[in-house]
Amino acid sequence: MSDIVLKVESLSKNYQMGEVVVKALENVSFEAYKGEFIVILGPSGSGKSTLLNIMGGMDTPSNGQVYFNGELITAMSDKELTMYRRNKIGFVFQFYNLMSTLTARENVELASEICSDPIDIDDVLNSVGLLERTDHFPSQMSGGEQQRVAIARAVAKNPEILLCDEPTGALDFETGISILRVLKEVNKKYKDTVIVITHNAAISQMADKVIKMRSGKIIEIIKNKNPIAPERIEW
Amino acid sequence: MKKLDKRLLRMIKITKGQYIAVVLIIVTGIFIFTAVKNSALNLRDTVNDYYDSANFGDIFVSAVSLPEKIEKELIGVQNISGSEARLVLDVPLILDKENENVNVRVVSIDKSENKINKLFINEGKRNISEKNIIVIKQFADARKIKLHDEIKLKINGRQHTFNVTGIASSPEYVYIMENEQTLMPDPENFGVVYVEENYLRQISGTNGNFNEIVVKLNSENDIDKTSDFLKDNLDKYGIKRVVKKDEQLSFGMVDQEVEGLEKMSQSVPIIFLTFAGIMLANMLSRIVKKDRTSIGVLKALGFTNYEIIVHYLKYASTIGIIGGIIGSLIGTALSSMMTSVYLQYFNIPMLSIKFYFSRILAAILLSLLLCMAAGLFGIRGILKINPAESMQAEAPKQGKRIFLESIKFIWNKLSFSWKMVLRNIFREKKKFLLIAAAVSITCSMLIMTFWMNDIIDVMFNKHYTEFMKMQYNVGFTSFLDENTKNEFSEILNVNDIEGRVELPFEIVNGSKSKIVTVIGLEKNTVFYDVNVADEGIILSSNLADYLNVRIGDKILLKNFMPDKDDGYVIVKEIINQSLGINGYMNIDYMNKLFLDKDIINGVYINSLDDVSKILDNVDNISSIQSQSDMKGMFEQFTGMIAISIGSMIIFSGLLGFVIVYSMTLMSINERALEFSALRVMGFTTKEIFYMLIKENSIMSFIGIVLGIPLGKILIDYMGKMFSTDIYTMKEPLTAPEVIWAIIFTIAFLILAQLITYVKIYKLDFMQSLKSRIS
Ligand SMILES: Nc1ncnc2c1ncn2[C@@H]1O[C@H](COP(=O)(O)OP(=O)(O)OP(=O)(O)O)[C@@H](O)[C@H]1O
Ligand SMILES: [Mg+2]
Repeated sequence: MSDIVLKVESLSKNYQMGEVVVKALENVSFEAYKGEFIVILGPSGSGKSTLLNIMGGMDTPSNGQVYFNGELITAMSDKELTMYRRNKIGFVFQFYNLMSTLTARENVELASEICSDPIDIDDVLNSVGLLERTDHFPSQMSGGEQQRVAIARAVAKNPEILLCDEPTGALDFETGISILRVLKEVNKKYKDTVIVITHNAAISQMADKVIKMRSGKIIEIIKNKNPIAPERIEW
Repeated sequence: MKKLDKRLLRMIKITKGQYIAVVLIIVTGIFIFTAVKNSALNLRDTVNDYYDSANFGDIFVSAVSLPEKIEKELIGVQNISGSEARLVLDVPLILDKENENVNVRVVSIDKSENKINKLFINEGKRNISEKNIIVIKQFADARKIKLHDEIKLKINGRQHTFNVTGIASSPEYVYIMENEQTLMPDPENFGVVYVEENYLRQISGTNGNFNEIVVKLNSENDIDKTSDFLKDNLDKYGIKRVVKKDEQLSFGMVDQEVEGLEKMSQSVPIIFLTFAGIMLANMLSRIVKKDRTSIGVLKALGFTNYEIIVHYLKYASTIGIIGGIIGSLIGTALSSMMTSVYLQYFNIPMLSIKFYFSRILAAILLSLLLCMAAGLFGIRGILKINPAESMQAEAPKQGKRIFLESIKFIWNKLSFSWKMVLRNIFREKKKFLLIAAAVSITCSMLIMTFWMNDIIDVMFNKHYTEFMKMQYNVGFTSFLDENTKNEFSEILNVNDIEGRVELPFEIVNGSKSKIVTVIGLEKNTVFYDVNVADEGIILSSNLADYLNVRIGDKILLKNFMPDKDDGYVIVKEIINQSLGINGYMNIDYMNKLFLDKDIINGVYINSLDDVSKILDNVDNISSIQSQSDMKGMFEQFTGMIAISIGSMIIFSGLLGFVIVYSMTLMSINERALEFSALRVMGFTTKEIFYMLIKENSIMSFIGIVLGIPLGKILIDYMGKMFSTDIYTMKEPLTAPEVIWAIIFTIAFLILAQLITYVKIYKLDFMQSLKSRIS
């Protein structure tokens, strides 16, 4: 566990809102290692999503650098960022954001079609516990099922990093736990680095590393020697 | 199949209504384009084929007397490939009824077939012998002449009886007109007949000589050279006129008609197409806006901008291809119908509608390109979508106050529902502006249509009552002494009478020239609304425009009278004349320059007597035209314009209808959620429909108001485009025309709204509340 996959260096992001400058991120630095399961914890508005989006190549910082496997992604062009997202990153969103006109399987295929080194679809669907309902459309599935499809869609690309922005935010406790279990399994099986955003402190019990944020700053980074299994998390 | 393509197909399936609405707009645009364009092309093809297959002559020479040998002498000289000499005589038709005065043009033809200007036999046979006669179809129809009837002609002072053995059409007389001065064909009072050549030479008293020769060239490129050559070399035979194909009366008329249609086919469909393009762009931009989150997800997944743009362009292209295929097929089918209807007014005995696959392909390609271009424009917003932001719930539309709210005294008086309607309009300005634009185009097209409908009557009345005021125009067979006019006063109760000269000249200004009739009038004439000065010439504005001359310019008048001089004249005045193309001069000045002193070739008469009847047996009279004759001819002639107008009304209405319909349909789809919320609150379908109607009618009202000045612009433009030698369209717009246009516009709009009501009624509001996933 010594390979640094992602290195974030004194990252800042400012939004100009008329007269005032909103500092969404202020001098944030940390490192993510290969296969690490990281939880970013913080209250609403603390800059978690902003950080995640910059790491995922969806947004650019005002200052600072992000290195992916030693490559400076914050200096990349739009085109290069797209390729970075396409081949290296898997996103999971709070509201699943599946294509409503594609079935579960097709949603996964949509992503795997465009990347260079996809994982076998059935294998991925199996891993997320979805083999029976793959021909259903999103509107015919529950939120938990949809989120599994979304995870499968992200994993199938065989990314190096899985970025999840409040993946359990819209789900009840039971379902939330099952999603976290899927993420943990994917993390173990495919050796993906998983970064999960949450404002639920309980979830940090399963992380290898917990990054606590407040007002755009990292206030603490905690290494967890003994992460517990998701099903043992207590709310 | 790629998953994105699958998404596309399902997207189309789910949003059928919206998709069909857009396809409908493109179909309408392309179908109007193909229909109008193809009927112009078909007509041009037919006309060309007709002239080709008849081997229509290139140059027509008329002279006092041409010897037979000239026919052979000309061949091979100056690019001439063929020539045919003939006798052409204008003679009176002898009728049982006495009060009619009908002239026919007798043309000599070969026994079996002519090489140039072949006849197309409609009935009977082409082979002809002595005492047989072939009658031109229009004349036969108008006078109800049938095969084997007898026709009596007065040739060279003697009566001859002929047996009708054929009824035929000729490319030389698609329009049968006696001369340039007759504006309209009048087949009841002037016709063309064909008699065997040798026989006609015997009985004509021309010593076996001819008086016309028709020449065919190897190529038309050097037609001017050959024409000049003929003028010089045949001068010794007393050349009267050398007329090139383009100047030939009937050919020129046909050409102008087809050209008018071609001009329309180039301008009108473009308006429709442009509008269809704008609509498509707007609709696609709205679709992209609705798909914002999905586009963001695609970007997050690593799809490039290019891939996403191609995805949505495919949507646009399917519309382009489907719309192009349906539109061009309907348009092609309709164009065949339109062409055959047009041809009824042309007296062309053939219809060559060629089915060009390439034209359909071109229309589909055009449709595709239009949709791609409009599509690209519409979906350019994709580039601006930021994946990170798109994932967040869209910032609620700002509840900004609209401008009207600051005008308190109006705003406070409005009911709640009106306030809601106004807010909606101001929040979706673009959409409502498009509705207003569609309505204003519909309204302006209708204004133009009704104006064109009226203008024909207006132009006629203006010309024949205000501009030309004579009740009768009597033509002589030759030039007579001015005092001849006094003889009319002895046999008629004459209110006014003046001598006149009507004579064709070739008017030349630099490289431009045109053959027109110049009219010599008495000073202070009561018959024309023109004031001829002692010297100089007055030109109608279309002639001045054509020749590119201004007041004070000096122009050359080339005389067709044998042994008479050409001369330069100064342009004194340019007048507006709604029908015809002419020059006017003081008769004394005209005689002095170009003819002899104190002679006339006709008189204008105002009299309450039945002049036609009384003058029937008078010698030396070749034609008597009454005001009512002219009216009749004109009405027949305007049938073709009526068809154009009819189709324009339908097209304009269709466009307005389709746009308002599809816009409302889009609106319903987009606002399903809002409507559902209203339904849940207890609003009835009707109330929601009324809200939509209120929104649309405000914009329709604005559209109609804007449509009036737009219509005015269209009219000015059309007036310029459609002005020909025959008519000059410069009449003002009148209130009834505008009112009719508005009534029709409103009717089309109401129809569209009624259909959308059905749509709203059927919409499943609960379903749209439940399904809220991207
Ligand atoms: N596009 C933007 N324009 C202006 N300010 C923004 C924009 N995006 C984010 N911000 C601000 O930046 C700060 C951090 O936002 P961010 O979305 O990263 O918070 P978060 O930790 O993800 O919150 P939450 O838990 O609610 O998702 C907030 O104060 C937010 O208002
Ligand atoms: Mg967030």
